[in-house]
Amino acid sequence: MSDKEEDLELQALQRQLDDAFETTRPRTGFEDELWLRMQAGRPAPRRFADAFSALLQGIREVPAVPMAAVAAVLVVAVGIGILAYGGFGHRGGGAATSAPLSQSGASRDYAGASGTFGRVPTPVFSGVPKSSQGPEAVADTASGEYLGPVQLTWAGTLDLTITSVPVFRYREPSTNTADQFATALGAVLRERPAGFLGSYSAADYTLKIRGTVQSPQASPAFFVFAALSMPPIDAAGAGPKDLADIFLAQHSLSPQWTYTIAVDSSGDPVKVLYQRQFDVPGYAPAYLIEGSGKHYGIEVDLSNNRPVLVSGLLPMNLDAAPYRIVSAADAIQSALASSGQSASATPAPAVKLTQAELVYVLVPAGDHSFYEPAFLFSGTFQLNGKTATKHVLVPAVDPSQRTP
Amino acid sequence: MLDRPPFEDIYREYLGRIYAYVRAQVGASADAEDITAQVFMNAYQAYARFEARNTTPSAWLFRIARNATLDHFRASGRRERLRRTIEHQPMAEEDPAAQAEDRIQYRALLGQLGELPERQRDAISLRHSGLRFDEVGKLMGCSEDAAKMLYHRALKALREAVQKEGV
Repeated sequence: MSDKEEDLELQALQRQLDDAFETTRPRTGFEDELWLRMQAGRPAPRRFADAFSALLQGIREVPAVPMAAVAAVLVVAVGIGILAYGGFGHRGGGAATSAPLSQSGASRDYAGASGTFGRVPTPVFSGVPKSSQGPEAVADTASGEYLGPVQLTWAGTLDLTITSVPVFRYREPSTNTADQFATALGAVLRERPAGFLGSYSAADYTLKIRGTVQSPQASPAFFVFAALSMPPIDAAGAGPKDLADIFLAQHSLSPQWTYTIAVDSSGDPVKVLYQRQFDVPGYAPAYLIEGSGKHYGIEVDLSNNRPVLVSGLLPMNLDAAPYRIVSAADAIQSALASSGQSASATPAPAVKLTQAELVYVLVPAGDHSFYEPAFLFSGTFQLNGKTATKHVLVPAVDPSQRTP
Repeated sequence: MLDRPPFEDIYREYLGRIYAYVRAQVGASADAEDITAQVFMNAYQAYARFEARNTTPSAWLFRIARNATLDHFRASGRRERLRRTIEHQPMAEEDPAAQAEDRIQYRALLGQLGELPERQRDAISLRHSGLRFDEVGKLMGCSEDAAKMLYHRALKALREAVQKEGV
């Protein structure tokens, strides 16, 4: 081969390399996922498919009314050892305080006629047991979830003195709703990226607002991403909770609903979680939980006293109406009925459910979505030498008042 | 101090290039995502100390990327890297976008590049990621002329490998 031919070949190879490097790019969505994760100050685990991805699956599908047949019983996450946030999200996780007000627009006495909203959609949870798999095959150590079949028994007490509880309904927020919220904070519309109602700029942060997400189910939410220019909160002697309180108050983001606070100081950033509760007449305040069983509301992530990410429920007007609920016995029976059969040679582990509490779950349903009551059963068991916790969710609204 | 551009601008501009550079080094898209994420996490934390008058954002980021890639190799070892490249079934390849990427005709070329000796692979990757030869040399600890020589030697080695494999 002559020198000239060789040069031509090398030039062609260089062009191919240029093209190769130009066209090699990460998968769709990676850029935004990583950016959001960086803003949250979280370490980069393998893949980007943890619960945080709910934030990124912002493409709002047209929500369909869930099929009740699929989910008469909701089986929820199960943490092997602990939930993703460690001791986060439990009643004992932090000092309990409460805000004085109920959700804007929701009557505290829920005096409307029973069943005002008509038959409400039956909650659906995607984490139903995978009966075709053995338990060892579905222990997801990365997320702490265990989705395998179990054999359930009940060994606790569930005393119910109430026969009806409120169901809450909200209208899907529009871009106008989001714009008004942003304007009230002093943020200016920048763009409307896919999956979000809007992205807004303020002096030292970016605000993004998202509507209801059908799957994985997520409430309308706001996300405040601090810019590098965001100063630390200057409050001598203040702890994370105090700093979070100050930040939320300064930015008119303080929750206007009942809550308890949990603080996770195990890493950087420190996370302060305002766990939303719904007032239930005749019963203790009931937590709002997400699909994994974790409490949620508003989360303030602090790094060196500086907020890096604040995310939480978008304030919305809620209508409320009382709905008849199932009896304790029926709830327990439904929970136990979620026992699954293992298709493998390994029998499904036996789990003794020992606790139950009334909680609220999001039920996306198109233009109007709901926060509906459910019973959260829990129990622990041993799996491969580790203590695992099993949660089972059962819809609380009487089946006659739910869509079939 | 010179004004620094917002980090987000740098992030948006360089993410793809950094990813491509890392991908050419490690082969598997999942590893490339992890390392790229680590690069920008590190850069984000260090950005307050970035001095625009001393270096370009490009050279600064590629230095971080190069170090992160070397750390990756040190941690996993060559054999492990090869095993993962061969056996790994990254999540990205399960989605349509990644499947589309798989169809890119240059994948095989980058695969061949990944088999070159480390310094040759690095020289080509840095150069075709848009760095000047003086920047390549600085990152690799050699002069601009040495970087050019190394690059051209690497290019010939790659051509031979491509011809041999019929890529």
